[in-house]
Amino acid sequence: MEFVINVLYSTLRVSTPLILAAMAGALSKQVNLLNIALEGLMLFGAFAGVVFAAQFSNTWLGLLAAVLLALALSAVFALFVIDLHVNLIVAGLAINILALGLTAYLLTVVFNTRGAFIPDNVQPLPVWDIPIIKDVPVLGRILSGHGVLVYFSWLMVFMTSLLLYKTPFGLHLRAVGKHKEAALTAGIAVRRVEYASILLGGILAGLAGAQLSIGDLTLFTDNMTNGRGFIALAAVFFGNGAPGLTAVGCLLFGMFEALQFRVQVMSGFSPQLLQMLPYLIVVIILVLISVRKKIQRQAL
Amino acid sequence: MLLKKSTPWINQIFEILKMVFTLLVALLMGALVMQLSGKDSMQAYGALFSSALGDSSAIANSLLAATPLIFTGLAAAIAFRAGVFNVGVEGSLYLGAFAAAWAGFTFTSLPGWLLIPLCILVAAAVGGLWSYIPGMMKARLGVDETVTTILLNYVAILYTSYLVNYPFKVPGMANAMSAEVAPAAQLDRFMPGSQFNTGFLIAVAAVIVITFLMKRMNLGFELRSVGDNPVFSKWMGMPTEKIIEKVMFISGLLGGVAGAVQVLGVHYRFAANFSPGFGFTGITIALLACNSPIGVFFAALLFGVLRSGSSTMELFTDVPRDLIRVLEATVIFFAAMEISWNWLRRKRNGIRN
Repeated sequence: MEFVINVLYSTLRVSTPLILAAMAGALSKQVNLLNIALEGLMLFGAFAGVVFAAQFSNTWLGLLAAVLLALALSAVFALFVIDLHVNLIVAGLAINILALGLTAYLLTVVFNTRGAFIPDNVQPLPVWDIPIIKDVPVLGRILSGHGVLVYFSWLMVFMTSLLLYKTPFGLHLRAVGKHKEAALTAGIAVRRVEYASILLGGILAGLAGAQLSIGDLTLFTDNMTNGRGFIALAAVFFGNGAPGLTAVGCLLFGMFEALQFRVQVMSGFSPQLLQMLPYLIVVIILVLISVRKKIQRQAL
Repeated sequence: MLLKKSTPWINQIFEILKMVFTLLVALLMGALVMQLSGKDSMQAYGALFSSALGDSSAIANSLLAATPLIFTGLAAAIAFRAGVFNVGVEGSLYLGAFAAAWAGFTFTSLPGWLLIPLCILVAAAVGGLWSYIPGMMKARLGVDETVTTILLNYVAILYTSYLVNYPFKVPGMANAMSAEVAPAAQLDRFMPGSQFNTGFLIAVAAVIVITFLMKRMNLGFELRSVGDNPVFSKWMGMPTEKIIEKVMFISGLLGGVAGAVQVLGVHYRFAANFSPGFGFTGITIALLACNSPIGVFFAALLFGVLRSGSSTMELFTDVPRDLIRVLEATVIFFAAMEISWNWLRRKRNGIRN
């Protein structure tokens, strides 16, 4: 029982950056500008978060800086992709490489440390005990006592869903994603919608990065995101761009991550094989989706 | 449409000018980053280029650093040229490297003239087949190859890491790595004090073969045609699915050989997570070279210089070698702006419709 509670508690914790990034991914998928740059935007967010938090001894300023930096870089990404017609995968890879290089460079030059930055003058973001639920026996220990961004990420799933399916903007966004030319003909400001989706995604990716660096602990290490941006994208494909199902995918992958530490310690089962599973599952899901499409097409 | 067709000389000159311009922008960007962070950029670049080109052993080390990049650049270029966005060269490289190491420490009784080709062949086959899988999924089911190859990279990297952490782990080693390959499997080194080895000659041979393939063979014509206009090619009766599968196989094959050459020429064993992103730098190189094999060769040499010079730069001027990635990202942005006016824009539209 203790084991299950622990695993579920950490699942919620480690899923949070994935969920936030995956909501950005879901927006980008729906507008048909798949955001490969999430990995890099998160890394920039994580870096800015802890650096500014340490600089001003204020975690909230760190959070703000994380959001602003990721926003600025997603604007660069959007500029190259939307206006300069750079292929979006190429531009995404470039942002990722830039993030990897520039954060490591600045870490060494500005803070004179290689590999890791661990300030001692800041606290992580506050945790929140949910009033009534925290006293419910098992549930309280799983759901309560997480950092604020954990709860915020759940809110974001709801808000993203609302935005996509219940607002005119969401309708426009999906229309642009489905058929750009038709949307243009219908009088939708395509370019504005595309920019807005990428920039919103930038904010979410910045939050995701901040959760990594100042969510539970306050530290930054080189390549801290370590593929989480791509896991988040995998979850987007798992959920086919729908926020709810995408979040479920994130929780599933989060559980793999949470289990991986424990299984390794307990049974000696290879953590690498366990880490492989989410990627393999998504590849299989992608194949199944395509097979279904093909069968439907043949039936017509 | 500058890069395709039987390029008239004026276009070739334009390509070269564009390459030079891109590089200048990248170097300027690097200088800007250094100046803003209080470093002397002239001194840093001076240290970088003099340590990468200063004497014969420095040049040897630059060529050594360029060797895997020539293969991965070719691998990316041939796929891009056919309009297939293979991001999975890194995965093929890992599996190929492990396969070569495995053959090298398993068939230890074979003589070198047999063992080295065998190792490379096994690596080529494994790398090719690995990349054939997303190629097949793309050709037959329409699964987007970019996404699957990115995901499969992680599978390949983690799986090879598993292999040297468990079944093939050498006891007593601090890091996860395989046993050493037989001495007969090790590629000859040209001079003492440098790891520069005959792998470079294999890379040169690969450039020649791929040039010949792209320019003179049926498959080359077909893959360029599919890259320029897949719908037209299909209506002309070309087996476009088969071509995509073949191209993905060749691309992965080159990635596999890159891994083999690193193992047989440099490390003599497979170590988990050994590649600093050779496969991804290959993408940068292909973009910079406008997918031309000869261009890939020179672009790879350049990145070899940057890579090998950067460690000395770090040592003597306190400018971290991570700066090279900033240059790389800039190269990608600016090189891709041009290429997007060609097939990449069509690809984007292709995804849309």
